[in-house]
Order: sequence, then structure tokens, then C-alpha cells
Amino acid sequence: MTFEWLHPFLIATALLLAAVGAVRRVNLWRAGQPESVDFVAGLMAMPGRYLHDLHDIVERDKYMSKTHAATGGGFVLSLLLVILVHLFGVQSQILAWALLASLALMFIGAVFVFKRRLNPPSRLSKGPWMRLPKSLLAFSSAFFILTLPMAGVLPEVAGGLLLTIVLSIFIAMGLSEMLLGMTWGGPMKHAFAGALHLAFHRRPERFGGGRSTGLKPVALDQRVLGVQKPEDFKWNQLLGFDACVQCGKCEAVCPAFAAGQPLNPKKLIQDMVVGMAGGSDARYAGSPYPGKEVGQANGGPLLTITEGLIDPDTLWSCTTCRACVEECPMMIEHVDAIVDMRRFLTMETGSTPNKGAQVLDNLIATDNPNGNAPASRTNWAADQNLPLLRDLKETDVVFWVSDGAFDMRSQRILRAFVSLLKAANVDFAVLGDEELDSGDVARRLGDDATFQSLAKRNIAALSQYKFKRIVTTDPHAYHCLRNEYADFADGLFDNIEVLHHTTYLNELVQAGKLKLSRFKGGKVTYHDPCYLGRYNGEYEAPRELLRSLGIEIAEMERSGFRSRCCGGGGGAPITDIPGERRIADMRMEDVQTTGAELIAVGCQQCTAMLEGVVEPRPQVKDIAEILAGVLLEDEAENNVESQLEEAF
Amino acid sequence: MLLDANTSMDLKIVSLISVGKHPTSGRARRAEQDGRAVELGLSVAEAGRGKQNLTVLHAGDSQQSALRSYAGMGLESVRVIQLRESADAVSPLTEYLRKHAPDIILTGVRAESGESSGMVPYLLAEKLGWPVVPRIANIVSIKEGVAEVLQALPRGQRRALTVRLPFIASVDNAAAEPRQSAFGPASRALIEQQQASSDADAVRSEWSELPARKRPKRLKVVKAKTAADRFKAATAKPQGSGGKVLKDEPVTEQAQAIFDLLLEEGVLR
Amino acid sequence: MSDSDYSDILRRDPRGERIARNRLHPLHSTVAMQVGEMRGPSGLLRKNPHSVGFIGPNGIKRIDRLKGNAVAMSGRRNAQSSQEVLLPLHQVREPAFTIVVVPDMVGGRLTAHDKDILGQAHQLARSMENDSTGLGAVMAVVFGSSKEDSFDKAGVDRLLLLDGSEYEGYCPEQQVTALEQVEARIKPQYWLFPDSVHGGTDLGSRLAARLGERPATQAWQVNTETTICRGASGSIDITRDTPRLLMLAQECANPIDETRHEALPVEWAPVQSVLPELHDLGQVAVDPNAIPLAEAEFILAAGNGITNWDQFHATAKALGATEGASRVAVDDGNMPRFRQVGASGTWVTARVYLAVGISGAIQHMQGIGQCDKVVTINTDAGCDMVKRADLSTIGDAEKVLDELVNLVATHRQQASHNHSAEKEGAKDAA
Repeated sequence: MTFEWLHPFLIATALLLAAVGAVRRVNLWRAGQPESVDFVAGLMAMPGRYLHDLHDIVERDKYMSKTHAATGGGFVLSLLLVILVHLFGVQSQILAWALLASLALMFIGAVFVFKRRLNPPSRLSKGPWMRLPKSLLAFSSAFFILTLPMAGVLPEVAGGLLLTIVLSIFIAMGLSEMLLGMTWGGPMKHAFAGALHLAFHRRPERFGGGRSTGLKPVALDQRVLGVQKPEDFKWNQLLGFDACVQCGKCEAVCPAFAAGQPLNPKKLIQDMVVGMAGGSDARYAGSPYPGKEVGQANGGPLLTITEGLIDPDTLWSCTTCRACVEECPMMIEHVDAIVDMRRFLTMETGSTPNKGAQVLDNLIATDNPNGNAPASRTNWAADQNLPLLRDLKETDVVFWVSDGAFDMRSQRILRAFVSLLKAANVDFAVLGDEELDSGDVARRLGDDATFQSLAKRNIAALSQYKFKRIVTTDPHAYHCLRNEYADFADGLFDNIEVLHHTTYLNELVQAGKLKLSRFKGGKVTYHDPCYLGRYNGEYEAPRELLRSLGIEIAEMERSGFRSRCCGGGGGAPITDIPGERRIADMRMEDVQTTGAELIAVGCQQCTAMLEGVVEPRPQVKDIAEILAGVLLEDEAENNVESQLEEAF
Repeated sequence: MLLDANTSMDLKIVSLISVGKHPTSGRARRAEQDGRAVELGLSVAEAGRGKQNLTVLHAGDSQQSALRSYAGMGLESVRVIQLRESADAVSPLTEYLRKHAPDIILTGVRAESGESSGMVPYLLAEKLGWPVVPRIANIVSIKEGVAEVLQALPRGQRRALTVRLPFIASVDNAAAEPRQSAFGPASRALIEQQQASSDADAVRSEWSELPARKRPKRLKVVKAKTAADRFKAATAKPQGSGGKVLKDEPVTEQAQAIFDLLLEEGVLR
Repeated sequence: MSDSDYSDILRRDPRGERIARNRLHPLHSTVAMQVGEMRGPSGLLRKNPHSVGFIGPNGIKRIDRLKGNAVAMSGRRNAQSSQEVLLPLHQVREPAFTIVVVPDMVGGRLTAHDKDILGQAHQLARSMENDSTGLGAVMAVVFGSSKEDSFDKAGVDRLLLLDGSEYEGYCPEQQVTALEQVEARIKPQYWLFPDSVHGGTDLGSRLAARLGERPATQAWQVNTETTICRGASGSIDITRDTPRLLMLAQECANPIDETRHEALPVEWAPVQSVLPELHDLGQVAVDPNAIPLAEAEFILAAGNGITNWDQFHATAKALGATEGASRVAVDDGNMPRFRQVGASGTWVTARVYLAVGISGAIQHMQGIGQCDKVVTINTDAGCDMVKRADLSTIGDAEKVLDELVNLVATHRQQASHNHSAEKEGAKDAA
């Protein structure tokens, strides 16, 4: 063959250019803010993280997981062997056969990729991604043919000039997609960035079945609070954005996207990439933000994101339900990025939309979002005779009442829960007026300063007393206490267990401390609150509780970790970005397809949102209310029951 | 906002601020009306040459953290005439304003703490010899040294007034809401302190202050001339508990009942 | 129960009967009725064929023991329809001191607030009279044209009416100059202003600054020694010596209701007119829908029960009401978000809140807590809104609104007709 040098040359050039691209790409990430990462441990853990954590998520779609295993595995193996066989010219029949096998595997995978791309679902990005299966086929088939002679299957000088030229074109095409594209920004970028993203992930706790959902605190003495420019992200966040494969799983589960609000998590991440690398979003080939045209956004690493790249409304549409994060096969942290940018809008520009500013002002001035008198926090319990920690100093369980204390609907849940605690003879107490808002809303609205102030004061109040557990009926407060206060608590929470009331009630019921009759009602479904389920992994306790009442739960299609948000999280009802539908209405449709007459909920915010749906609709009740309704009372506690009946 | 070239060039605005008090928690905060005065000042200044033409001035304690919540509206600095708590603020303010001769002084209608008599703009106006416009909702335009302002009247009504510069105006709750106070700028803004001496408010030191007592609701006094009237006054149902329900009456009667009530209440104009 | 239920009870008035029998009694003519004409037991006016007798208070015919000199009593039932009781006249010939009240005179009439202030003025006057010699006079200074015809009953001893053309519109500078003159000529013991948004506070503050008086503001308990005023936006009570110039809160004192006063016009040399620096360009027409919901006086609110939205908007326009909405109406996109009334929307203070098709979710009820009168048109008689409302109609909202618009239209027509008739009458009189 006259062009013997050609293919090794092509491979070497591609590898070299890929290396140059890699340096450039790495420099883009390095523009981000420093964040300390254990590089060695991360790199060591990377293959494991890929094979377990990432693969587990991809495995939810069997077709895709097999396709990806074949294509990806075949490619990685092929590339290594190609380098050995074709670049370094290692003459070995075994290697050549191995290469043929891996190329065949890759080819088969690529065929399935091709097949799926024939009629792709709307969530998938088109554009360069439509080219990818062809490039995969070209790469695998060209190298296959090229390797045949080495395996001794074909004579050395088969074909001729024409074949050589065609092969060379295919190889060039395959190499540029697979190697150059990897570091210069093609679809294959996900392999390079994704691998490093797994290694240097900002939340390494998430791997190996762990959970890390608490937002990271802001250092309040920074020059700029929150993220103004792409540069203001941590470097490994930028790296994470680059890992996106544009599979659109996030888009498919995003409640705001479904409601027609101007948010699409996939587009958001792609816009972050645009901002990081500079340029416009004109080349983006997926679904747009609902109601917004693609091609208008421009950004750069030093340009303010919300001026030209992303409309603030996009950021404020997010309910922080984490459905996108849960679904992302690349384990990208959308919510972190969104809250980081919100922090800039709130703490630097003061542009929290709609009622946001008012709510934050109230939180600052009265420690609750609606500006109620701080001293009226226990008014709801005037008839409950609740023990105060201030008097007891020591107790077993602290009942964290949360801001539901000011809301008349939520007070019913609180009363129900108190009646259960009393019926089970639990040694409990409340903080009373010493309790403040947990800071959840402030934090999700980007006002970390107010969150930190509330958190520190709450911690100071708690640290005066001795107790073992905190139980709350509010998953948002639960999340803050359990996952976010530790950053400010100096180890206070190390020996304290924070529980959601459904978990705790389940414990009481399983221990036989609550005597309950069977539930006599219609069909019941259960709505997983995001901050209980996805944020804290508690899917089972509420279900077990319902089952213990003899209820067979009519599960919704979107339930468990795929539960759809009620629309009440992340300050979304406060910022109230208009869409075509309301998220709560969509959730109610989910409920109605089950034919349930009662929705069991474990969150006052979900209760409020779902009850906001126009009747006729199924009833909405907190699990505590359902339990209190079937509680068998001792004679001594009959008065509690009558009180309850009055309350309802 | 319409500003003509001549006046906008060097239109100096001073917004006077005080430390507010939250109605339910009683904590120090940005006062609602003073916040609006700053907002109006900012919007006039921004329509002209820029924010630097607005001075936000406080007479009192420069350490008060509530001042930062004004600064969080995007101010680079807040100027404070440092005074003792009991000191009278009007004379040092007059001195300052005489020296700096602004074109517009904006204040709130009434402070949220202390005596809250609402006299400061009037006293300043009297001492400076300037006109005072109470309760404005907006400054519509400033042309050739004359400002057209909208004065807020009760129940959302407005009156247009013209006034020549310089003038003092107190800003009503009907004015544009103050922009959100952002933590970042608030914590970075400069508090420029300025010493001043002022006599203590001797008159006020003799007053006694207590938390507000609930004022008894005035009973509907019935000047009973006869036993029957007295009996009726004592036994008649108090108003408002349980209204009249027209259920099976014809539509015309129902509408008439509503109409009569509207007429009686005088809301039909 | 209404008034009529009580006044239908016939009662004897022994004193009245005594006076009626005594023709020499000074009040004889006020209680006695002409012979031959009297009220029958049914209340109808009857000619009495038998002048010998009369009908007693219980409707039983009585023999007239005065033999033809009979004069019948006018029963209590008729007292209302006859003349009002003439209150005793409080006269001040030579005032030893004067208390000046400057009422708001909204729309040319004394407001309830003004009357309270006048009552307060008399309280102060009485207690000063106890300490010193001679009666004091309460003088009202009224600017602009006045439509008030019962200054006497409100407690005005002296009335200074300044209704020159220079007092038309918003003219605080001119007014203060006039008040300064009052100060110079009369040296009032006290200056009382209503502390109100209708101008009382403005004028009082201006005068206080001009005179160098330190006024009491939001004063609500005043005697000659001490004054209690609200401070710190109503959160504290300040107790202080009573100053000369007071701006008084509503309901600081009871209005005058037991005496009549002279309301003697005061002769006044014209006040020099000042060159004002404020020029009134007049009130700006405000679209009811441009009024912030929280301030609106009259709100027509729509809920889930509204089907015909065009009709709703037309009704709001016809009534001149500001539009409001329940959360559902907003969520369904029928009304913009800023129109939402309730805990998560706007807390409203309307005097009249007309809710159409709103069942009254708890958050909504919280938002209308401060409304004076709540009227509802609803289909469900058992809903919370009906429980709260002062007047509820149960039925088809569309029909009721239709009828209501008609009523308002006819009312407007009549009013304009009457108005033009009034003008004609005025012309005739001239």
C-alpha cells in the first residue's frame, strides 16, 4: 500500500489535536472558581462511579443502557487497540482479532443508536447529534475493514486506491468526530468531560448510593455574591455542564417545562456551556424554553448571565424539585446552578420577582414569610397545652412546628400530629416563639444571608436544650434541619436525629404505640413531596403507614423518585412565573387518572397547592390527619378526640 | 419622567431617611415611606444624570443596621449626621441642607418610630423658606425649574400640582414601592459619618411613652329618650353578625337590596 | 328588628297629657293637636265627628272630661313625623376665650371626624370654664364654599367662613396666612385640627411650623392638662402636656348632640392674598381600576362562579368599582395576578366589597377582614362567604348583575335629571 503512513498519521494527528483541544477545554473549566477536590481519589473512583452510579441511572432505560454499553464499551476498547495496532504498528493477530471484535460490538451498538435516531423523541437534541450514529458507523466499519488484513482475513493489498481513499475519508470522519469532537465541542465531548465530571464531582457523596442534596453555603464576604458570570461558578460545576449528553431526560420530567413556564433544564445547561465558551445558542438543536425563541441568547465567560444569555424568569420558574437532577445520567446539578444564579439576582441586584422581595423583607423583620407577629407563633396551640422546651429544658422529641403555625389549613395538620403524639404518650416539647422560619424559602429564593441568619439563630435556640430527636411535619424544614444546618451547627446535629413526621409516626405504629382502626374510605393515592422523597429518600415510611391502615395505595404513574412536584417548592408560588398551565393542575390530573378519592400527602405546602386546584377534585389530607381520623382513643383521651372533631 | 436639559444637568436631590419600625415585630427596618422617598429620588436622579445626584441623608445613629437596608437599594453611600438619641434633628438638618442647597428634598410622611409627628418637612420648609408638598405619589415632570407632582388623596385619588424648585415633598404610601434591598450592596455601601452638635430635645424628655393601649371602639351611642329606646339599644343585635340572606326572592328584589346597600354606603358616584 | 317595630308600641306620656290639659303651659302648643283632627287606632288621620271624646293611647275611646275643651295628644307614633325636638341653645355672648377648630369639610360638609373635633373643643371649653370666668366660644374656620347647614347642631359657636375665590382648590399657603391672621386677632386658646388625610394634618402642620408651636399629633385623649397621642406609627402612647395646637385622631371625643349653638358668622377683614408657590391643577381623573386594590373603596370581586366575564367587566365599569378576583379566577387566567384578593394576594380595605361567585376560601376571607360591608352574590347559601357577608343573594349571578346595572343606570339618569332640575331651580331663584 502506497499510503501506509496515512492512517497512522491521521490517528496521530487526531490524537494530537484532541490533546490540544483537551488543554483548551480544561482551561475553560479552570476559569471557574477554585474548589478543592481530591484528584487522585476521584480519578481512582471514576470507573466505579461510571459502572455503578451512572450506569444505574441509564439502566432505567434498558434499550439505551445496552446500546450505550455496546457502543461506548466497544469504542473505548477499539480506540486503545487502534492506537496499539494502527499507530504503534504492533503486529499481533490476537490484538487484531480483539480489535475486530470490539469494532463489531461498537458497530452493533451504533446500529441501535442509528435506529433510535430514525424517529427520535422530542426530548433528544437534533443537530450534530443526528450525525453521531453515522460517525460511529463510519469509525467502526472503516477500522474494521482496515484491520481485516492484519487479522489475516484479507490479503494485504486488497482493494486499491479507491478503497483506500474511501476508507481514509471514513477514518478521517470517524476520528474527527470521536477524537476531535471529544475535546473541541462535538457530541462526544460528553465522554471526555463526563469522565472527568464523575471523577471531580462537586458532591462525591452522591456516589455509591449516597445522597447529597443540601445547598452549599455562600461566603457572605465575597466580592460578588452568587453567580453573575459563568466564571463565578466553581470549576467543577463548569466541567459538569460540559458533561451534558442532551438526552433530555431532565426536560421530560421538569414540571415547569411541562407547565409551559420558560424553563428547560437541558437548554439551561447548554446555555451555561455557551456562556462558558462564549458565543450564541444558535447551534442548539433541542427544545427551547417554552415561549422563547432559540438563537437570541449570547454569552461569554465574563458577561453577566442574566443579561442576554438567560432570562431571569427562566431561573425563577424552577421549583427546585430535583426531578432533573434525579433523572440526569451524567449526574449534573441543575438546581445548584439555578440557585447560584438566583443568589446573584437576589443578593446583588435585588430583583426577586413578584412577592419575593416582600417575603424576604418579612423574613428579615418577623422571621416568618407573611409578616405575622413573631409572638403569635403559638397562637394556634392555645388550646393544645403544649409543653415548651423553655420550661422543660430537656425532652425526648422536639416537635418542629414550622411556619404552618400561621396558616389555618396547616394548623389542622399540626393539631392532628399533636393528637397522635399525645395518644402515643411521646415525651415531646415545642420551641414555641423561639422557633423561627427554617429559612428554606429564603435560601431557595437566593437570599443566603437571610437563610444563614435564621439558621444560626435557630441553632442557637436549639443548642440551649437537651433532646434526642427533632420531628417536623414540614419536609422543607426537615430538609433544612437535616441537610443544611450542619454547615452552621458546629456538630450540634451529630447526635441529633431529624425525622419527618411520617417516618416517626411509622416508627410509633410499628412499635404498636398507636392504636388505629382500619381506614374506611375510598381509593387513596399518595403524593411524594419532593423535599421528602428526592431530597431525603423517604419513600417507604408514608406508604407503610398507609398500608398499616389497610389502604392499598393506587400509585400514580409519576410516583416515588419520579414523583411530580406540586409546584409549591423553591419559592415558585412566590415568584409566580406565568406559564400555560399550573403545575398543581397537572399533578391533580395525575391523581385523577388513578381514580383516587383521597390524596395522602406529607407536606403542608403540597396540601396547599393541591387544595388550590378547583373543585371537583379528590380530597387532600396529610397522613397525620388520616391517622388522627382513625385513632382509637383510650377513655382518658376522649377529650382530645372531641377537640379534634371540633377542629375539623 | 420628563426632565428638560437645563434642570436635569445639576438637579440635586436629597432623600431624608429614618429608622423604621416593623408593625408586628417592632424591629428596626427600612421605613416604608422613607424607602419610597429614596425610590422616587433614585428614579428622578436616574432620569437625569445618574444616581450620584441623589444624597441619602439620615440624622441619628450611624451604627444603626437598618440604614444598610436603604443602602441595599443600590446606593454607594448613606450620609449620616451623627446625633445622640435624644437630640433634635431639625437644626443640624437645616444647616446641612442650607450648605448643600439641593433642588428637591424628599421625606416620608411620618416616621415609624419616635414621636412620628410628620413635622420635619414642614419645619425644614419653614426654616429654609421653601414650599412643601405633602403626600406626593410621583413627580411627573420637571421643566424650567418647575415640577409637576401628583399628590395622593385618600382612596386612590390624585391631584396634580405644580411647584417651583427647590421644594420639599413628603412621599405618600401611594408612591412607587421601593426597590428590593439587596444584601450585597447593602453590606458594601459606605456610611459617611458627619459630626454635628444639636441640643437635646428638652420638651420631649418630659413626655412619658408606653406601648399603645387599645382604644375602645366607640359604641353606637343611643341617646335614649324613652324606656323603649333604651331597651332597644340594649337588646338589639350588634351589627355585622350574620347578614341578611335573600334566597328565594326574585332577582329584581335581590338586585334592589344590593343597590340600596351600595347607595346607603355612598359608593355609587 | 327595625325601628318601626318599637315605635308601633303605643305608650302613654303622662307629662305630655298634663301639658296638653294645661292650656297655660308654655309647651302646650307643641303637644296639643287641633280639635277635630286626630289619629285613629290604625294611625290614619280622621275627622272626629264626636268632639266629645278622644281615643286613648290604647285605642279605646275615652270620655273627654274637659267638656269640649278637649285637646288630643299627639301620640308617640306621630311625634316622629312631626317636628324634631328643639335642643337647648348654648349661647356665648362675650367669649372669654376662643377655641378654633379648622374642620376638613370634605365635599363642603362636616365629616364625622370634624364633629368629633368640635365635640373635643367643647370638652376643653367646659373644663376651662370650670377653672376660669366666663364662657368660651368654639370657632370654626371654614375655607371655600360650604354646603353644611347644621353648624349649629355640630357645636359651632362662631363661624368664620372664608369663601373667596382665592380659597378654591388646594391652597394651603393662602389658608395658613388666614389662620395666622386669626392667631393675631383672636389669640385662640387652642387650635384644633383633625389629623386626617383630607388636609387637616397638612394645614395643622403648616400652621404649627409657622407659629413655632410644637403640636400634638394623633392625639386621642385630651384634656386641658395632658394629652395622649399615638406615636411610632400607632405603636406607642405618648403622654404629654397639652399644647396649644392639636391634631386629633378620629373618635377623640363624642360629637355634640345635646345642644344647639349659635354659629354666628364672624365679620372678618379680608385676608391679603399670598402669591402661592403651589398651583393646583385640579384632581386627576382616576380610573377605578388604576386605584391600588388595597386602597380601593368599592371592590367588585369575581370568583369561580363567574361565567360571563364581559358582563363582569361591564358591571364594574357601570358601578365604578375596582375589580378584584379570587385566586381561582386568577389561576384560570381570567384576571391578572395583581387583582387577587386574599392572604396570598392583596389585603383590601374596601368599605364595600361585592363578591360575585366567590365561595370564600379561608385565605380569601383573611384578605377581606378589614372590609366594612361585604355583599355577595352566590349560588351556595352554605358557603363561608355568605356566613361572613352582611347581605347575600342566592341565585344566578348573571341575572342579578344585569338587574343591578339597570338599577344603577336608572339611578344615574334620575340623578342627572335632578341635578339639572336643581340648577334650573337655582336659576329661577336668582
